Amino acid sequence: MTYYLLVFLAGLAGSFHCVGMCGGFACALGTDAHGRVASVARHLLYNAGRAATYMFLGILAGSFGGVICAADGNILPALDGPLGSGQRVLTILAGGLMIVMALQILGLLQRFHGAMIGFGGQALVGAMRNLLAARGAAAPVALGVVNGFLPCPLVYAFVAQAAGTAHPLTGLLTMAAFALGTFPAMLLMGGIGRMLQPMWRRRGVRFAGGLILLLGLITIARGIVPIDVHGLHLAQQDAPALAPELAQ
Amino acid sequence: MTAPATERALCRHCLLPVGGRGMRRTIDGAAELFCCYGCCLAYQVRQGHGEESEATWLLIRLGVSAFLAMNVMTVSLLVYSGGFEGADAGLLPWVHLLLWVLATPVLFLLGGPFLGDAWRQVRQGRLGSASLITLAAGAAYLYSCVSLLAGGDHLYFDTATMLLVLFTLGRYLEAIARARAMRNLAPLLEAEGQWATIVEGAVESRRAACELSPGALVRVRPGERFPVDGLVVEGESQADEALVTGESRPLAKSVGAPVIAGSINLDGPLLVRVTCAGAATRWARISRAVRDALGRKSPIQNAVDRVAGAAVPVVVLLAAATVLFWWRVVPLDQAMMVGLAVLVVACPCGLGFAAGLAGSLGIAKLARRGCLVRDGGVLESLAAIRAIAFDKTGTITLGRMRLAGIETDGVATDEALVRAAGLELHAEHRLAEGIVAAASSRGLTPMPADQVRAVPGRGIHGICGGAPVAAGTGVWMRARGWQIPPRLAARAEALEASGCSVVHLGWDGQVRALLWFDDALRPDSGPTIEALRRRGIMITLLTGDLPAAARRMAAAAGIDDWHAALSPEAKQDQLAQLRRAHGAIAMVGDGLNDGPVLTAADVGIAVGGATDLAREAADLVLPEDGLSLLPWVLTIARDARRTILTSLAWAFGYNLFALGLAMSGLLQPLVAAGMMAASSLIVVLNSLRMEHGPEPEAMVGTAASQNARPPVSSGASASAPI
Repeated sequence: MTYYLLVFLAGLAGSFHCVGMCGGFACALGTDAHGRVASVARHLLYNAGRAATYMFLGILAGSFGGVICAADGNILPALDGPLGSGQRVLTILAGGLMIVMALQILGLLQRFHGAMIGFGGQALVGAMRNLLAARGAAAPVALGVVNGFLPCPLVYAFVAQAAGTAHPLTGLLTMAAFALGTFPAMLLMGGIGRMLQPMWRRRGVRFAGGLILLLGLITIARGIVPIDVHGLHLAQQDAPALAPELAQ
Repeated sequence: MTAPATERALCRHCLLPVGGRGMRRTIDGAAELFCCYGCCLAYQVRQGHGEESEATWLLIRLGVSAFLAMNVMTVSLLVYSGGFEGADAGLLPWVHLLLWVLATPVLFLLGGPFLGDAWRQVRQGRLGSASLITLAAGAAYLYSCVSLLAGGDHLYFDTATMLLVLFTLGRYLEAIARARAMRNLAPLLEAEGQWATIVEGAVESRRAACELSPGALVRVRPGERFPVDGLVVEGESQADEALVTGESRPLAKSVGAPVIAGSINLDGPLLVRVTCAGAATRWARISRAVRDALGRKSPIQNAVDRVAGAAVPVVVLLAAATVLFWWRVVPLDQAMMVGLAVLVVACPCGLGFAAGLAGSLGIAKLARRGCLVRDGGVLESLAAIRAIAFDKTGTITLGRMRLAGIETDGVATDEALVRAAGLELHAEHRLAEGIVAAASSRGLTPMPADQVRAVPGRGIHGICGGAPVAAGTGVWMRARGWQIPPRLAARAEALEASGCSVVHLGWDGQVRALLWFDDALRPDSGPTIEALRRRGIMITLLTGDLPAAARRMAAAAGIDDWHAALSPEAKQDQLAQLRRAHGAIAMVGDGLNDGPVLTAADVGIAVGGATDLAREAADLVLPEDGLSLLPWVLTIARDARRTILTSLAWAFGYNLFALGLAMSGLLQPLVAAGMMAASSLIVVLNSLRMEHGPEPEAMVGTAASQNARPPVSSGASASAPI
């Protein structure tokens, strides 16, 4: 559980980054003419769409990691007990990727540019523009879904982490914890409708980068040190009970 | 910029420092700095204005369905990975019900359009890709529903929903690629929907431009497009006519100047009296032509459609056979999944739009430079052209008779010219224009003439300064009893033999001067023909003129192969002969007097604007003075053809390869759908490469045409070249 708490916290801190990049969309969603409840629903729908994309990416990454490890002949429950050699390599890779993303977020490494082909990027831009302008009640969900696919180092860092867990369920939970972490700030953005001072955001982003760096280091350590990291222990029986609620 | 300065710079979007190396992008003409690609995209989203259109509703449906489908997928993956085993097995029926609840709306939201398409196709007695998708998604969904009711475990709601999402995504990508191809064409296509500001007395009102009648007054503000053809009655400005005529320089417009619909008023407000409005303007005609061209299918497209149409029933049979085969080895639901993969992977989506998209992009690219094609098929045949035959007059020459020289007998050159100009001011003969222009270019005032009479086919006569004056053919002069000095007579004979038009000018009963005319070569003819030859095209000249004139022009333009004194029928025979010798042939003419010849060629090309007459005969219409665009047009056509062929080869190969994989049971239906979406994307990207093709570099040639002076032959001592 501690592990997910850590991811949640990293997501929470990461919102300083989200507020800069995606906060504008939450502001632009604005309020609904049908009153306060409708406005809140609008923003919840948007965030639900975003979370759905993140969780989908998480479960895909987790399954992908699982498939890679299964090729090694070791199907081990993730985050629990000693790791097989395949998962160990995967964990180290994921940790390394997180560190790269953390360094990017901290501005210590060159940012990734043009990760998507021009046409894909333009298609994304056009789609989000039109969805922001649309008045349909369902538009915010669609906006959230598309928003989730916007290239973002923060999301990539946690997708890497999810892949490192090498199991669909843990991958899903990792991304779910991260998504929940970004909820408060993004919901707040919709409410107050303006950004924090850049000064404070800069500090926040550094904090987030530090936390992700730390997570990356822990992940790598798990891959290298062949012992059970007790602090990050996930009680195996907790997991399935969580799943249905998350799915809804 | 130095490194520290960049480091302190802030991201244009999120206002955080960009760090080490920022990302520079030019957006709407302004150079901006971003910290990452995500911010760059987000900034563009916030800058632009979206519109709530048909596409947005598709997008919302797609987004909501993707939301549901991703949840279906997430839950299904949890079920597959054993998340509901052991103690939680009791939850499983509820989870299945949840899957059904999530999946069913997707079937309606996204399946509806496919079902509609499939139904339409079936009623027309054919099967298309929509039928395959409907069949695959429907089978997966119905099987899962039955299984759900029977309390079974094998549910494929994830397959059904994701199939629909991925295929709709493919269609959406195709649609925005099309929209992007059309984006730059928008001004060309919106001629019919124009509004105009009408001035009636002191009242100004807005009205649809097509309701206006000639004579109405229209106000056009700077930055607006002229909604009508007309004459300026008030104001001064400049106009950009590039859209309609291909002229890239701004043209000054003051009182009395003609303006054309579709051009942009650049500087000041203008009041325009309508001469032509609505469907009769050239803009509207171009607009209609482009729309027609985009709406027609090319031969390749038709062939591909036939192949795809024939393939679909085969695929359905293959899928059925695959299911039957695998059913003997594995349970029915697994066999069915293999069959679904076959259905999905054989879906000829990429094939369907490969030819159309590249063709549209080519048509659009040409239309922006004023080159109109009849349909996408013209691009295909143009790319296969091996030889081009040119008409002479008006095509490689300007088609305007220019006064090339004057020879006099005992009088001054200017004396002859003022009389000739005085007479010809009243004439409408094509030589008359040349005489008047020559006089004014030498600063001469035409001598007033009265009792002027034109004798068709012979000449013109009148009274100038009290004496009878006549200008016309030598035969006519002799018939009138006027004497021709032997020197002039000999000279006239020589000039006529070399292909010039000669006018005898005389007064007081004697011919006193010869004026001869010739047609000037277009300044861009030579370079154009050279550029075409470099592209491996065989060039020939076909003309009805005298051999002497043809030889001279052919030599000047750099054409070795010429055939003169051809009747229109002879030209067609000659074309047929050339086609046998060299392969597909194009004919370039002015479209006015060589219509049948243009039709006889594989591609008929008319130079000289969008006259209706030219359009009927020609497959490709180049703008006035647009001959120099021909090599570029050829390049674009070859580009389009190459793009179409590579896309088709890719889509065919990919489909066949994936079909093999699917039939051997190596492909999950979802992976198959992902592969098809990727295939569509690759076809789109391959086609969009055409946007970055070359631009016509030789536009300068047209600007020089007005000032060009071809060489003039002047042998005799008294002759004066003009």
